[in-house]
Amino acid sequence: MIIRILMLAGLAAIGWLVFLRRNRLPIHIVIVFGLLAAGGWAVLFPEQTDDIANYVGVGRGVDLITYIFEVAALFTLVHYYTKFVELQRQLTDLTREMAILRAEVERAQKPPAS
Amino acid sequence: MAGANADTHVVIAAFKEGKVIRGVVAEVVAAGYPVIVVDDGSPDDTAAAARMAGVSVLRHPINLGQGAALQTGIDYALRRGARHIVTFDADGQHSVEDIPDLIAALTHADIALGSRFLGKDAIGVGARRKALLRTATLVSNKLSGLKLTDAHCGLRAFRATVAPALRITQDRMAHASELLRKIQKSGLRVVEVPVTVKYTEHSKQKGQGGFQAIRILFDYFFRPS
Repeated sequence: MIIRILMLAGLAAIGWLVFLRRNRLPIHIVIVFGLLAAGGWAVLFPEQTDDIANYVGVGRGVDLITYIFEVAALFTLVHYYTKFVELQRQLTDLTREMAILRAEVERAQKPPAS
Repeated sequence: MAGANADTHVVIAAFKEGKVIRGVVAEVVAAGYPVIVVDDGSPDDTAAAARMAGVSVLRHPINLGQGAALQTGIDYALRRGARHIVTFDADGQHSVEDIPDLIAALTHADIALGSRFLGKDAIGVGARRKALLRTATLVSNKLSGLKLTDAHCGLRAFRATVAPALRITQDRMAHASELLRKIQKSGLRVVEVPVTVKYTEHSKQKGQGGFQAIRILFDYFFRPS
């Protein structure tokens, strides 16, 4: 039973963190708490995940959760990679603008050397 | 004489070239070209070494890569009213004497690419490097749909008017392949001009090996441009 307490404590901690940073859209909070509730339910009644798994055509609840986790992990990966590339592009634009601006300021400050 | 070359801006992207950059820049300045050196966030004294009359030194506060540095220099050249833009390597492997040939080629083309394999000698190039360059050319021709003898020579010249079509978004080394694809896509008139490349111990050290080629291909395919 120790594992259940640990799992529930972990979920509760995530819920608390989300609650603290509640400057997001209400729909995000609803979704996060929905997911947390589903997690808590799966911790308390693991055998019921088998029923859902059977319903969608998977043998065991454990497998179903693993599949969902894998898809979610891949989605997160792609999401953050896209963000990363976009950030890098912005960083390049910013750096470039800075370099050009500085050169133009330097040029304006001293008379053009021939 | 200096006036004749004044509208051809030479862009030199440099990273950790403090030892050789001064000599390279001085040669180009002596030929009468306005020079734009982009120091790509070098930890050494590259920027200070490049500073002299007739040279604009731009500094990236952080290291972004050769592609990004070239594009910064090109942007600056456009703002300074360049008519022709030349890209020139900082490590001393190119010859200033080849620039007039490239510019002359622009009378009937939009972009002129230097080629190491069109007659003029490649000085000090080993058999292994030659094979690597041939392979790179083959792959890059397949990717770009162009038929070139040398795909990854850093010495090129193009008209300022086509610069927007050639905008580099590959910050690191995949910019060379990106450029070729953009030439092909926008249907620009491209010519190859034989140039001399001097391979020194220094330039070989700075050059790209076979292992980096894999990274370049990764960038090319997985970094959306």
